[in-house]
Amino acid sequence: MSLIFRKLARNNPRNIVTDAQILVLSCRKLSIVPSLYDGEQDPAPKFFSPNVQVLLKRLTRPDFNKVFRKRTNHGLNILRTPTYKFLTNEELEEEIAKANEKADRLLQMPPIVKIQKHIDDVLSSDPALVGYDTAKFIFTDITFGVANEHRFIVERDPDGVLRSCDHDVRKRLNQVYFPLHGRKLREPVMFADPEKFNSLLDREQYEFVLDRACVQYEPDEPSYQKVTSITYQHLDSHSKYELLRSTRHFGPLVFYLTWHKSMDNLMLELLQTGAVREAALLVALRQDMQGDVVNGELAQGLVQQILPTPIQLKKPERVTEEDIQLDTKCVECIEKYIVSNSAIKSQQELALQGFRENYQQLIELSRGLQKAHGNA
Amino acid sequence: MTSKLLTFGNLISRPISILIKQNNVTPNLHTNFSTSSVACVNFFNKLPAEKLWKSVTSVSNAGAKKGRGKGAGRIRIRDLNRGQVIGVGRSSMLWPGLSAPVIRGRELLKQQRLPDDPERLEKLIKIRDSMTKFRRLKLSPIERGWSGMKMPGRSLGPPDPVGEDAFTGFDTKVLQLRSLLIMKGSLGRTRNFQAMVVTGNGQGLAGFGLGRAKEMPAALRKARNRAGQKLMHFEVYNGHTIFHDFYTAFGKTKIFVQKKNEGYGLMCHRAIKEICQAIGIKDLRAKVEGSNNLQHIVKAFFIGLLQQRTHQQLAEEKKLHLVEFRSENEYFPKVVASPSEVRTKDELLKNETLDFTQYVMNNKVILKKKKFPRFYETMPHYKIYLKKYEKYRNHEKIRRDLKVEYGEVKSFLTDKYPEKAEQEA
Repeated sequence: MSLIFRKLARNNPRNIVTDAQILVLSCRKLSIVPSLYDGEQDPAPKFFSPNVQVLLKRLTRPDFNKVFRKRTNHGLNILRTPTYKFLTNEELEEEIAKANEKADRLLQMPPIVKIQKHIDDVLSSDPALVGYDTAKFIFTDITFGVANEHRFIVERDPDGVLRSCDHDVRKRLNQVYFPLHGRKLREPVMFADPEKFNSLLDREQYEFVLDRACVQYEPDEPSYQKVTSITYQHLDSHSKYELLRSTRHFGPLVFYLTWHKSMDNLMLELLQTGAVREAALLVALRQDMQGDVVNGELAQGLVQQILPTPIQLKKPERVTEEDIQLDTKCVECIEKYIVSNSAIKSQQELALQGFRENYQQLIELSRGLQKAHGNA
Repeated sequence: MTSKLLTFGNLISRPISILIKQNNVTPNLHTNFSTSSVACVNFFNKLPAEKLWKSVTSVSNAGAKKGRGKGAGRIRIRDLNRGQVIGVGRSSMLWPGLSAPVIRGRELLKQQRLPDDPERLEKLIKIRDSMTKFRRLKLSPIERGWSGMKMPGRSLGPPDPVGEDAFTGFDTKVLQLRSLLIMKGSLGRTRNFQAMVVTGNGQGLAGFGLGRAKEMPAALRKARNRAGQKLMHFEVYNGHTIFHDFYTAFGKTKIFVQKKNEGYGLMCHRAIKEICQAIGIKDLRAKVEGSNNLQHIVKAFFIGLLQQRTHQQLAEEKKLHLVEFRSENEYFPKVVASPSEVRTKDELLKNETLDFTQYVMNNKVILKKKKFPRFYETMPHYKIYLKKYEKYRNHEKIRRDLKVEYGEVKSFLTDKYPEKAEQEA
């Protein structure tokens, strides 16, 4: 980018571009500052708590057509002929239960944990070995069945110090002896080269980036958290939430946004698409994680009512009286949230107003239909 | 102008002797005149060219029956006048009024001899030869049928419109065109042509027709129009294949047809392939067993297609849900058809066919032949090959990875220890 601008500046002498300007321009694409989970507070207990997990899974809005979609990285170079079965009701239910389990596996969220600490653990110092060799010696326990994170890997430095290896060395050695499918020894170019990484983000290949990051890195690695953080922020600024819905990455995205108190864009999108129940769940999530929402208990109470209702993949065409009650409560809850916590109040209020008008029409329509059918 | 004509007339009216006198002919020629008659008539100038050529090219009746006078070695009639121009001959002369204008610009052209063209005769021979060489007419690969210039497999276009109803979007393919010999009381053995064609719009509508006529084009036309009158509608599953495997037969012809995945293509007899294309089926496998009489194959396949049951019909017959499992969708159970009422497990009969494929094949089991190992796999050298190349089995991948990393095949040690050849250079 900067190169192009330099050329432009050279070719056109009238156009005086100072170096500072060039710098600004070249940095524009990299303006996203990644924020890692490196503070005092550990996100893991919050992330793994059942309340939050349930909320995140519900907010993912799993659509089975997308969860079980045809993927390009399926490992199948040709399609197979489908198979058919005659099933009774019970057998069909069994199959659907199996599919639900499979969906849970496919939607398992990558864990969110605190960033790793350096390992600086001197086991022994043997001055007799100073200058014995010019190279380091690394000893790895390759016993079968030991978990990678508990494997015993130590190094003997040329100055005779025996120490535990740091994470990067551990990762490389683990990959050498026990290779993980899809993980490369060196960092892939798409992560290492910011230009390539940015081009992927500009092409909205968020899912691909996040999938590959999951394979390449450990969740507590700084690089992983950096990559995911930039991806989430890029997606958030472009409001492309629909691309990650029904995938395993939506939960971590919502968690990230809520953790950094920047979920207002997501809230706006939910209101604009008329998903007030999910918006209420998001308020409850905020209350669970941050505890700074006025009347937060109300939202948490709503969660228990919302969860048993079916997931709304599309806008409803008719509503029952119970639906109306629940949605009205949700709207009240969101109103309070907008007043007290939102950073983009006016836009969200506008969106909510739009929803209210549409909803009023829907209510009248369904009540009218009920009357016409004589069930009033 | 008139005066000129008059002088020309005078010239003609003068006796020939004067003409001879005018030419610079030596006078002693007169003494050499002979009075004996010269025969200037032979069969070359007595018979017309047509007859002369016939005498060269004709083949005896018996010879024609044996197939003589056909194909590459055949003598062909040449038009010897081709390439010849009046006024141009062996010696190159300029004849005003014949091979050149009388007046060019302001000067009056005179008869004169021009320099000879040495290549004239060669050119003439070349033109004549171009007529004799046997040339096979070529069709473009798109128009070509199954084989060469033969009609089967070629497209005939849509059937003729009936009244105001035109067959838009239809295309007809010839499946068979053959000559039949029939005996007639008065004429004896006569030749008839029979054509079988299939027509369809590629969107479920198709039909086949049989036409007979004295002439080939008439037979094709009849067949095509008859096919247009006998259209049938077939549902195509997901726009690419059939609903289920089936077995079908006509006479001694048996066909086993299998439903296939998207992208599989049409792996079947060429006639079945044409039919599938006419209907709009894109993926299917069919194995023809028994007689491969083409008309029987076509009829059997159409019967099989007509006897197909949709998924809803199958579910209703069985009173069970019909569920589809696709590997690309992680075997997610997709209910493709549900009956109005579903039987419970207790209501199922003990010996009932529950397997889908077996049910749609009407309990017919396809004999699958055992696959034998390839001829080389049992040989000792194959084992040696396997052992030898085992250590190279990942090299291709490694080379690719190195190319990704360094842009060429090199390792982290190449800089430290360069190749010897490079060192010398």
